[in-house]
Amino acid sequence: MTSAVYFCDNKGKPILSRRFKDDVPLNAIDKFQVVLSDLEEESSIIPPCITHNGIQYLFIQHNDLYIVALATSLATNIAEIFTFLHKMMDILGDYLKTVEEESIRDNFVIVYELLDEMMDFGIPQITETKMLKKYITQKSFKLVRAAKKKRNAARPPSELTNSVSWRAEGIKYKKNEAFLDIIESINMLMTQNGKVLRSEILGSVKVKSRLSGMPDLKLGINDRGIFTKYLDGNNIGVTLEESDQPSKSSESSITNTNGKTKTNIELEDLKFHQCVRLSKFENEKIITFIPPDGDFELMSYRLNTVIKPLIWCNMKVKVHSKSRIEIFCTAKAQIKKKSVATNVEIIIPVPEDADTPTFKYSHGKIKWVPEQNAIVWKIHTFPGGKEYAMSAELGLPSINSEEEPKFKRPVQVKFQIPYFTTSGIQVRYLKINEPKLQYKSYPWVRYITQNGDDYTIRLS
Amino acid sequence: MSDQRIFTRYKANEIRSELQIVDVKKIKSGVAKKKNALRKIIANLTLGNYSEMLLLLPEILKFWKIEDDMEVKRICHEYIRTIGSIKPRSTVESLPFILNDLRSRNEKVQIMALETLVSIPFSKFSEEAFDFIIHLTNKKTVPEQLMKNAIYSLVQLDDYDHERVMSLLNLLYDIVNHQIEKPTIQIAALNALCMIHDVDGNSQPVHISVETAFNILELLPTLNEWDSATLLEILPITVVPQTHDNAYDMIDMVLPHLQHVNSAVSLSALKMVLYLLNYIEEVNQTIIKRLSNSVIALLEKPAELQFLVLRNVILLLLSRDQSLLKFDVPYFFIEYNDPIYIKDTKLECLYLLSNEGTLPQILDELEEHATDIDIQMSRKAVRAIGNLAVKLGESSAGKCVDILLHLLEFGVDYVIQEIISVFRNILRKYPKDFKNDVKTLVKYVDYAQDTESRNAMIWIITHYSDILPDYLTLFETFCTNVLNESPEVQFSVLTSSIKFFVRYPSIETEKLCICLLRECTEDANNPDLRSRAFMYWRLLSLAREDGSNVTNEILKDIVDGELPKIELNTKLDPIVLEELELNVGSITSIYLKPTSQIFRMSSLKSLPNSPVLNSDKSLLNVIDDLRSIGISNSNDRLNGKNHNSNKNNNPVVHTMSDFDKPAEKVNHLKGSRKSSISSPSKLARKPSMLMRKLTLKKKF
Repeated sequence: MTSAVYFCDNKGKPILSRRFKDDVPLNAIDKFQVVLSDLEEESSIIPPCITHNGIQYLFIQHNDLYIVALATSLATNIAEIFTFLHKMMDILGDYLKTVEEESIRDNFVIVYELLDEMMDFGIPQITETKMLKKYITQKSFKLVRAAKKKRNAARPPSELTNSVSWRAEGIKYKKNEAFLDIIESINMLMTQNGKVLRSEILGSVKVKSRLSGMPDLKLGINDRGIFTKYLDGNNIGVTLEESDQPSKSSESSITNTNGKTKTNIELEDLKFHQCVRLSKFENEKIITFIPPDGDFELMSYRLNTVIKPLIWCNMKVKVHSKSRIEIFCTAKAQIKKKSVATNVEIIIPVPEDADTPTFKYSHGKIKWVPEQNAIVWKIHTFPGGKEYAMSAELGLPSINSEEEPKFKRPVQVKFQIPYFTTSGIQVRYLKINEPKLQYKSYPWVRYITQNGDDYTIRLS
Repeated sequence: MSDQRIFTRYKANEIRSELQIVDVKKIKSGVAKKKNALRKIIANLTLGNYSEMLLLLPEILKFWKIEDDMEVKRICHEYIRTIGSIKPRSTVESLPFILNDLRSRNEKVQIMALETLVSIPFSKFSEEAFDFIIHLTNKKTVPEQLMKNAIYSLVQLDDYDHERVMSLLNLLYDIVNHQIEKPTIQIAALNALCMIHDVDGNSQPVHISVETAFNILELLPTLNEWDSATLLEILPITVVPQTHDNAYDMIDMVLPHLQHVNSAVSLSALKMVLYLLNYIEEVNQTIIKRLSNSVIALLEKPAELQFLVLRNVILLLLSRDQSLLKFDVPYFFIEYNDPIYIKDTKLECLYLLSNEGTLPQILDELEEHATDIDIQMSRKAVRAIGNLAVKLGESSAGKCVDILLHLLEFGVDYVIQEIISVFRNILRKYPKDFKNDVKTLVKYVDYAQDTESRNAMIWIITHYSDILPDYLTLFETFCTNVLNESPEVQFSVLTSSIKFFVRYPSIETEKLCICLLRECTEDANNPDLRSRAFMYWRLLSLAREDGSNVTNEILKDIVDGELPKIELNTKLDPIVLEELELNVGSITSIYLKPTSQIFRMSSLKSLPNSPVLNSDKSLLNVIDDLRSIGISNSNDRLNGKNHNSNKNNNPVVHTMSDFDKPAEKVNHLKGSRKSSISSPSKLARKPSMLMRKLTLKKKF
């Protein structure tokens, strides 16, 4: 139960507010600023929730904004509030492009309107951009012109309270298409000597639906949990080495891939968009849904398997104190020969006071980025199995002011590998059925593997 | 429109003139200007310019007639709401307009009008609101959105007129039990009921029958995400399973929602399942795995949610002797980009997750962070390593100590201070095993600058004086400036000097001892220190006297007695835990303190009694086989009764004051310099009564 939501600038001064309940005093938000700065002085650990005078300040940061929700009861469901705040930022992002102090000030009327729609009495109501956009438009109506034409112009569509609250009726497209993107982000934590501390695959299936009417979609993937009913027992879970690559044909429309060897994987932690019928999935292991219009994330999954690093960097750093630092790095693309990693970026940290870099390298480009205190090695295309090397030398100042703590920032690697999923997940079919219109439709599928937020090699 | 001009303070006159100019010539640009002026009013209200804006009420009322522009309508209502909450009486004039809106055919306007009515704390307004709500409930077809708003209005109205709302509660119960075709409204009513009861401490908590609960749960798939979250959030406690089958069935219905992409839904589902687990006998391994996985998956969410989940992980790890959920250690490894509050919480999780098996992994990670740039992080990591040594057995302690010794070489003062402090705890747990390492440690005597590490160092030197040939020189560094030390250190110095004297009566120790006693009795300002010094002095003189029955042995026993081994206590009071578990996902779970402790008024949440309630958490069995759950034995009920009587027969010994003493993992979020792990833990002390009286309680 949120009592109020405030938008505050980066100092904590309120710009815009919406009070949903009457139980917090008007000046409560003024304390936020004070409490926040007090905390900052006291310690570097500032949790996203603060208590002051019996009022709970729950906040998230977004660009130069603090979005603060106030609540009075400790039993308040904070998961709901944080989820709501993040969702709200997404929606505002859809409306205002960038959500920052200026755009909030510029558009505060629409923000009010949205807030009113998204939350009633502190309880979240509707947070589907597509539906909101149906009746909250940025275009406002003429002020005095008679009320002939658009008497009931702004009325919430009745679907809001239907069971399919995320899709409006009467959507029409000339060409009916559905695009499926399967994106796998790899998070890995490695030590310098190649030990993998943690590795996981975060997958997400994104759908862009451009379909008319109320289509019912059925998605088949080679998840073991989903497919056990249809396949024999000789399918073993896949490790990386076994995972065969999706053929080029998967780019075109998909039907049941009968001829191929079927590999089945077991996905953990499937999370579904609210449109997926969870009970149906639970009982029959079939993913069926009526999609919202436009882009959305259909499902996400996590796989916790030991994988070998797709892009491995062998690092050697020699620090000659007070004179120079030498960095040697060999990068290896440990992927199938057929695959190619693109947009590879290897970000190697260097000390803050380093200067005059000199580089030697075989491929790509190297830049020193002093703002990040790092050198960035960019390789545009990196075919599987290849090994590239570089070396760099940077000068260090001869006088050290103080004993600095060792620099412990990790090496970060960014990459993208198209047409490839590490887990081996594959779409077997996507059936689109619109009972009334019975149109022809075209599903498209694309696979990509990329680095996650945390694909790092720790330097010791 | 330029924000600059909108967001500045205006005088009422300026805005009024702007609004009036437009009235004369109705042209397009005028419209925009007028709207802009209205916006300025709202902006000024946000800025807190209430008194000026109050003057504009008549102008605002003129705009009320405009029907077709929702923005103007919205601004008008917003104006009344803000002004109304400050000066309710001044807005009476607007009442007829609001009532007019309430009768509008536009659902949106009706909702807005209702909200305005409710938000003004003035009896005239609330009267109208009550009338309208009653009128609505009598009508057959009411738009759902409006009905929902009306129901939630009651919660707000409860603040003004509790009696009247109480008389309307039956209406809500009616909706909950009968309006099955409209799940949204049903849930709104249920939620409103719970909220009204929460505020009112006297009334019984809301209960709904198992049947109704099943009916509502059937609807779960058709609800929108926030409604599902609300439902799963309020169902625990409100519904009490009467048989094991009830509980099993409910779990089956809730489980799919762990996979909802909305974190609020999945956390609430988790909460519901955890609640239901108290009412079943055994649980399938796969369910446990799903629960654990869903928690782990939530760690990928934005930082704030991650933080919440981590705090709940701490709670879950503490909730049973053997944690029900299984978490892999690597998920709690600290990432470079994590916000500092996440890192901090992850450290605590790591500490709680540690056991013989996971120790090497965890130690590696902790060592990594003991040299972190952030001082607090690194202190906390060192502290965690030290506490692990105390928590786990001897063999593990060895590894921890090795790392600590290794870290000593890192040479940063705060790390060394922290190591010295934790080393004392380790030595108290294993007095013999690490004797040899003491010599290494005392080399760093000069680093001990803060109170705790000084204290620890003094204790170590005193305790191991037999293996330290130069103990007196080491000790003297602490004696030179006793009066400027913090009180704790003063006490330690005094006590230690007496110990030395009693242990090795010689000229040097006597001199030192007398010198300190004199200083403490004559120059010290602290009365406690003075009286302690006098006490020692008398004790020593008593021992010198002939014929007194205080012999040297007795004196030694008093001053230099054997200290008991320490143990770390990581457990929370079971009642507190029970309440916390019912609060998964709430703010309470972040502070790990129950609501009833912070608000004495609010009633204690506890598991409602039922024939099938497990009296003890350990009664829940985890079964490995794939036997489907839902098979309950016929003698359940008998057992259940026994459980009940057990529950009643075991009077709860713990008092409320116990809550004030946090178990060690409860983090002081207010970030006192010491990490939570260092917060005082209950130590098992059982020295002689005399000892207990003589020594002040020291922090470990």
